Amino acid sequence: MTLNPMHQFEVYRIGPEINIDGVNLSFTNASFFMAVSAILILSLLFFGTKKKLLIPSKIQLITEMSYTFIAKMINDTAGSSAKAFFPFVFTLFMFVLFCNMVGMLPYSFAVTSQIIVTFALAAIVFIGVTITGFIKHGINYLELFVPKGVPIVLLPLIIVIEIISYLARPVSLSVRLFANMLAGHTMLKVFGGFVISLGLLGGWLPLSFTVALTGLEILVAFLQAYVFAILTCIYLNDALNLQH
Amino acid sequence: MKNLKEISTRLEIAKKKIMGNQKSGKSSNVSSLGKALKISTELVAAVVVGSTIGFLLDNWFDTKPLLTICFFIMGVAAGILNVFKSAKKMQEKNKDI
Repeated sequence: MTLNPMHQFEVYRIGPEINIDGVNLSFTNASFFMAVSAILILSLLFFGTKKKLLIPSKIQLITEMSYTFIAKMINDTAGSSAKAFFPFVFTLFMFVLFCNMVGMLPYSFAVTSQIIVTFALAAIVFIGVTITGFIKHGINYLELFVPKGVPIVLLPLIIVIEIISYLARPVSLSVRLFANMLAGHTMLKVFGGFVISLGLLGGWLPLSFTVALTGLEILVAFLQAYVFAILTCIYLNDALNLQH
Repeated sequence: MKNLKEISTRLEIAKKKIMGNQKSGKSSNVSSLGKALKISTELVAAVVVGSTIGFLLDNWFDTKPLLTICFFIMGVAAGILNVFKSAKKMQEKNKDI
């Protein structure tokens, strides 16, 4: 049972069952680790900004680095007009990053390996960006689906293709994060299982693989949070500056 | 005050070093891995979305399997378009540097 590599993705209830109008709102292990990530982020930012030293302490340095990292990313990809969206992108990046990193700890649960979590995040981005585009440009936002210089005969086909490619955004955004985390954690577990079944004699090779894969997974955990944030910036850029 | 001045000169030197590193393109390794992961899923996602729309419309108009096939092909086109767009974006970015 414990050797089953998919066992780690099971969501189970912690505490009493809460049912409101037939909707199951019970507190699960997934909600627990989301809360842990949120508390970690809040405490990092709280303690990082508590003492404003001229020569920053380590924790202040991490806080300031994450701030400038996101601020620079927004400025580079979406321009200065997207500065108002800094809190949104920063929250998104930190949440995904901490969920991924907390998931790397032993005995913890990787929240981002659940597609409903990543899809909810991607849907928030998608709906938010679409609303922003309509607020900023009004009905002209639909020009996004009509590329310039296309013959009128081809236009109906091109518009349908453009709409499909627009709708594919949240799917690709969520599936990318979910698939990377799911595959990585499954692979770690499979190699971990090899260590046990091969025993003291042959277990060293898969053990070294597991160590290497853990390093790779930490890189992927950071990278996926980065990709999630930078794609949000690119979509914001499309909505704010109306580019194809 | 003397301490502060010393720090500011050291900061200047460090900044120059970082700028020099960025110009030689040492830090682009991580972001190119990110780009590779990004493009691969974009192609798949558009095909999935296209086929799903076709399937739903088929159920609605009762014209199985005609619209599914049409929208599958358009989904493939949209996927290639997405990859093309992001590749173009990358090229433009490289030109700036």
